[in-house]
Amino acid sequence: MTAAFLRLIGVTKSYDGRAGVAGVSLDVAAGESVVVVGPSGSGKTTLLRLVAGLERPDAGEIWLEGRTVAGPKRNLVAPHERGLGFVFQDLALWPHLTVRRNLEFVVGSAAVPKVPRTERIEEALRLCRIDAHLVDRYPHQLSGGEQQRVALARALVGVPRLLLLDEPLSSLDPALRVSLRGELASLRRQLQLTMIYVTHDAEDAAVLADRTVVMRKGRIGPDSTTGA
Amino acid sequence: MWGLRSSRTLAIGSAAALFVVVSLLPVLYMFALALASPGAWAATILDDRQRGLLINTTALGVGSAVFATAIGAPLGFILSRVPLRFKSGLRVTLMAPLLLPPYVIALAWIYLEGTLRETLPAAAVAALPDPYTLGGAIVALTVVFYPLSMIATEVGLRRVETRLEEAALLVARPGRVLWRITWPLVAPGVISAALVIFVLSISEFSVPGLLRVRVFTTEIFTAFAALYDFGRATVLGAPLLAVSIAVAAAAAFHVRDRVFVTSRGLYGSPIVPSEAWTVTAAAFTGAAIVLALVLPLAAIAREAFRADSMAAVLQGSSGAVINSLVAATIGATVITAIAICLGYARARTLARRGAAVDVLWIVLFTVPSTVLGIGLIGVWNRPAPWGWFYGTSAMLVIGYVARFLPVAALAVAAAMRSVPTSQEEAAAVSGSRWLRTMAHIVVPQIRLGLLAVWAIALILSFGEVGTSILVAPAGESTLPIRVYTMTANAAPGQVATLALFQSLVILGPLVVVAIVLSTRNGR
Repeated sequence: MTAAFLRLIGVTKSYDGRAGVAGVSLDVAAGESVVVVGPSGSGKTTLLRLVAGLERPDAGEIWLEGRTVAGPKRNLVAPHERGLGFVFQDLALWPHLTVRRNLEFVVGSAAVPKVPRTERIEEALRLCRIDAHLVDRYPHQLSGGEQQRVALARALVGVPRLLLLDEPLSSLDPALRVSLRGELASLRRQLQLTMIYVTHDAEDAAVLADRTVVMRKGRIGPDSTTGA
Repeated sequence: MWGLRSSRTLAIGSAAALFVVVSLLPVLYMFALALASPGAWAATILDDRQRGLLINTTALGVGSAVFATAIGAPLGFILSRVPLRFKSGLRVTLMAPLLLPPYVIALAWIYLEGTLRETLPAAAVAALPDPYTLGGAIVALTVVFYPLSMIATEVGLRRVETRLEEAALLVARPGRVLWRITWPLVAPGVISAALVIFVLSISEFSVPGLLRVRVFTTEIFTAFAALYDFGRATVLGAPLLAVSIAVAAAAAFHVRDRVFVTSRGLYGSPIVPSEAWTVTAAAFTGAAIVLALVLPLAAIAREAFRADSMAAVLQGSSGAVINSLVAATIGATVITAIAICLGYARARTLARRGAAVDVLWIVLFTVPSTVLGIGLIGVWNRPAPWGWFYGTSAMLVIGYVARFLPVAALAVAAAMRSVPTSQEEAAAVSGSRWLRTMAHIVVPQIRLGLLAVWAIALILSFGEVGTSILVAPAGESTLPIRVYTMTANAAPGQVATLALFQSLVILGPLVVVAIVLSTRNGR
């Protein structure tokens, strides 16, 4: 087995004594797509937040590309230094910034020179099929599907090493959900993204997963699979 | 759900009628008079003397708003983001100056300056600022109003959806996230609070009156009480009313009910400054408490203990003290009762119409107290049946209700919104009538909020002077009126004794609340 791109070793995180994640160990290979499924409250979102550095583990270690990024009760690498893209369940588009400005904030934070910065934004918009007439609109002026694309574009524009998605399609109607799921699968193949995708929808797992991880009560279940 | 023939219609209708007659009519009366005399209006604006008033009034408003924001906004940030111990207690302590009558703070700064004159060497005394200046009034009002900016900033920061900052933290340093994401989301609330402080400052009567700074509010009082010129008082009130309404409306469109509503993200606030900030934040907070509360109270206490007999002073003013307590208690109870009905109606109103009501309430709250006093006289000083109340102590209660009902209704409405309509619907389909539903389902869920509204209405009424000094019946006084009038002709020790007593009555319960909150939260 090749060295894991992402490695979690016995990671534990609890809230007020209630276990969010309990002793989870997980390896994700470069270019692999892992879909994490499980019921509400099973620790899926907490797992993503730990990987992103938005939470500190109580115990265990997290390694990214051979480097320890988090240890017991401390984050060794700040979230913005981990090179991640994150699509939140509620998208978290910045409401006071237009679509373009949402993307610019990301590349601007990475201190990318101006010309490549514009190219990157254009590329992200193209990849996520966002029409040019939408770029100067604010998030609330977009439809649900358009907001979803913008959230994905924002996650991709920083050219992340690892893409984290927290039930990004859960609020969409079934038709749009199927369509965007297909686009995401194709995008992943095209960009060869390493990805952790959290969902409780078996269809999402079937389309997007190289491997499915089942979580229950903060632990990885024995019925987790190695995908196609 | 309830139908027009339910007790709800009667309750809300009666409350709305009382609101219109007591709070709205005096302001409309003043507005109508101003519109009816455009010539006098122009003369007021163009007259050199009035232009001086305008400049002083504007400087007072701008100065107080800027300094109060400069102090209050960082404190709000500290309270929402910096991990300090006993934060709940600190919050209540920092809010205390807002609940003290403004003239008590002004008196404190006068006494403090006197104390420093006695203790400092001559060279240092020469450098002491004179409290009897516009600058002195700005300092006093800054101390009184910085908690508004603090609350607005803290509430604004707590309302920022955690995910928005988290999404930014994945790509940017915390400082950049604060500046580019957090601040733009909080800024409208902070700016709105500054506008409200501006309006409240130009509407304030007791501080400039005490410090002999000539502004519109003091001039209105002089025109009415010293020159017996009701027409002039009315004309002087017009530009102040217009500016107050315009600025308060602008602020209200932004802030609306935000001051009263809080929400937290699921996982709490992610941007917490590093540990190194804690020391600086603690020092800043401590300095604010010392300068805004400890020093002023110490100065008043020192002056009070110089009085020949504090007990005799209090005994001599016992009539005013009892009047104040009785009128303020009745006022607070009436205000809360009406606010429950109005707040309920607002909470169950469609968003756009409800927002307009919020704006109206905020605007009415900022109407200058002396302007409102003149309006109340204009409305109530008439033949019976209106005149039945004029010249009686009921006018004090009417004055309190007119001033503080709008803000109480705003607060109650925010609390009411936390009770889902579905709970009322469940009671209705179970056969409960509206009054029973209110008594057993709605009100019990917000009882602590209602208690807070009642307590704040009591405190505000207990310290009210601008309106009550105009509408109080002849020969009858409240404690604030007595303190204010005694400053002109009584020994400072006597005035300080009454001011200290008033502060203790207000701050006593607050200290208990601060201790309970600190103990309960353990931080």
